[in-house]
Amino acid sequence: MKWKGIASVAVAVCFVWAGMAGAAETIKIGVLAPLTGPAAADGLSVQNSLQLALERVNAEGGILGQKVELVIYDDRSEAKDAIGLARKLIEQDKIVAFVGGSYSNPTRAVAPIFQEEKIPQVAAYAVHPDVTKAGNYNFRNGFLGKVEGQSAAYAAVKMLKAKRISLLTSDNDFGRELAEGFKSYIATKAGGAATIVSAQVYPMAEKDFRPYLTKIKQDNPDLILASGYYFQTGPTVKQARELGIKATIVGEEGADSPKFVEIAGPQAAEGFVIVTNLNRDDKRPEVQKFLSTYEQRFKIQPDMVGASAYDAFMIIVDSIKRAKSTKGPDIRNAIASVKNFNGLTGEIKRFTAGGEVVKDVQVQIVKDGRFRYLGVVTDPDVITP
Amino acid sequence: MQLFLEQLLNGIAMGSIYALVTLGLALVYGVMRILHVAHAAVYTIGAYAGLYLFGATGSLAVAFLGSMAICAAVGVIIERFLYFPLLKYPPFVPLIGSIAVLLSIEEAARLVAGPYILTFPAKLPFPDVYVGGIQISSGLLAIYVITAAVLLVLWYITTRTELGLAMRAASQDAVIAGTMGINSHAIITITFVIGSATAAIAGILVGIYYNQVYPTMGTVPAYKTLALIVVGGLGSVPGAVIASLALGMAETLLIGYANIPLPRDALAFIAMIGVLMWRSEGLLGSSR
Repeated sequence: MKWKGIASVAVAVCFVWAGMAGAAETIKIGVLAPLTGPAAADGLSVQNSLQLALERVNAEGGILGQKVELVIYDDRSEAKDAIGLARKLIEQDKIVAFVGGSYSNPTRAVAPIFQEEKIPQVAAYAVHPDVTKAGNYNFRNGFLGKVEGQSAAYAAVKMLKAKRISLLTSDNDFGRELAEGFKSYIATKAGGAATIVSAQVYPMAEKDFRPYLTKIKQDNPDLILASGYYFQTGPTVKQARELGIKATIVGEEGADSPKFVEIAGPQAAEGFVIVTNLNRDDKRPEVQKFLSTYEQRFKIQPDMVGASAYDAFMIIVDSIKRAKSTKGPDIRNAIASVKNFNGLTGEIKRFTAGGEVVKDVQVQIVKDGRFRYLGVVTDPDVITP
Repeated sequence: MQLFLEQLLNGIAMGSIYALVTLGLALVYGVMRILHVAHAAVYTIGAYAGLYLFGATGSLAVAFLGSMAICAAVGVIIERFLYFPLLKYPPFVPLIGSIAVLLSIEEAARLVAGPYILTFPAKLPFPDVYVGGIQISSGLLAIYVITAAVLLVLWYITTRTELGLAMRAASQDAVIAGTMGINSHAIITITFVIGSATAAIAGILVGIYYNQVYPTMGTVPAYKTLALIVVGGLGSVPGAVIASLALGMAETLLIGYANIPLPRDALAFIAMIGVLMWRSEGLLGSSR
């Protein structure tokens, strides 16, 4: 009995040993994403896209002769969960870099930890300014609210020729910055072409937009800026059309989901415009391959959340290759010197000193139930953070 | 004036939805003195069950009736296997159990149906109505008519039938009711059946109205309805209905005229705090 116990301990030790030896041969990249809870759909998008990215990298031989391994944990979009899991990723899993696949709250909570441990993070789509303000180890592949707001205003005035605009924006950091960016563009760069006739703010948990829209109907705008996630803009657009509002409605990347069309209903969704970072009609073969592979494999259209996570991961992979090192500071420097990287979300021109991405902003319109190309904002004045 | 009336109509619809969910909670509190937080999960199940039945049969009548039956069963199961065994403990014990059931059902819904928002593209058979230049869309009309029908049936049951008399007796004092020959446990079971079936109706209505069914749709109702039954007077069904309608209108008018992004939910809790401070028995509660 005693010997059996000792034998089993020895066997267990061997397994642990083997596990550790195996672990040393892979390069580990950590991810936190909301796989359960209210943001679970976005978490799944991140997980699916990263799966495709990982398979691609490993099929091409990995990095520096080693296979890549993804360590993905569920932070439920909660800061308190994310902090413990970030420590686990660093201390137990020994990751070399981190893809921020979650919302702003958890991502900004963990940013200082990665900064302190000198492990670079590329946040996929978290939009809060604090994420990159945590220090020079933190980068962001998504747009700041201000950039998206300016781009939305550019699209409204230059592409859609709006004259009277109503704002209906969400009451969070992103929504407020977006509204600021939009207003400042209209005030300073639009040359008086358009006026803002009303501006309303709705709380994040809002489901019923009729009270706001009933008011907007009286203001009679020809364009409405409706910010928010697809589960907010979907009902907004649906209810606006039910109330007989004919104005063009412009949203942002939060509405960039096939679910938007479903919730708004195909009829109401038609003609809805968004500013985002994924161009479905991008001619580059790798983008089209991602879009079709994703839809075939996961039976749902990909969205900007997944594409952004894919890019964040690929930026890290590319940087490790260029750095020829898995040391945090080397990877960080390589990410900081990214130049004209060919991403799914367009050409990533560079990162600013503050870790913000510089790339074109895509303008998409719903046609026949799908997001299609309407235009692109390339004006450096508008898109540089 | 037209704007005010339109906003009022929006508010009544909102309040009606609150009322439908809060009803079950008020009924259960009445007979069991338990804060049935998991009621919001029953409402979620109602929406999902309705959606699947509608998808399978294409009939809204089947969706409503089937979902009501399923929710009634779920409600009774929760009562039999969770609340009843826990009744001998202080009230916070069943409350904790109830919260656990709410979270479990939310995550179970996610595992079974996926984390994505599902859409409920059904159209309730109501026309768009125009009254003096004011449009009442079919969605709003459906909510008014269905809520009114549910309230009427409940009013009839509780005030005009022997069952209702027994329910009211059990809610006033279960022990005394028992000595008078009323089977209190049977009354409790029937109350869960009625409350849960109402939650099913609410779930389907909300699912169609917003075109969204998703695992966490019960989270906000779970705590907002608690505030509402306190404001209405714990266990008072008319109080809960009045509080729900008043809240729906207050929220909507506040948005329409003040434009401060006060979270809607805050208003319910401000009202609850006010009630607890100045009229702790609630709008229609009896001070006992």
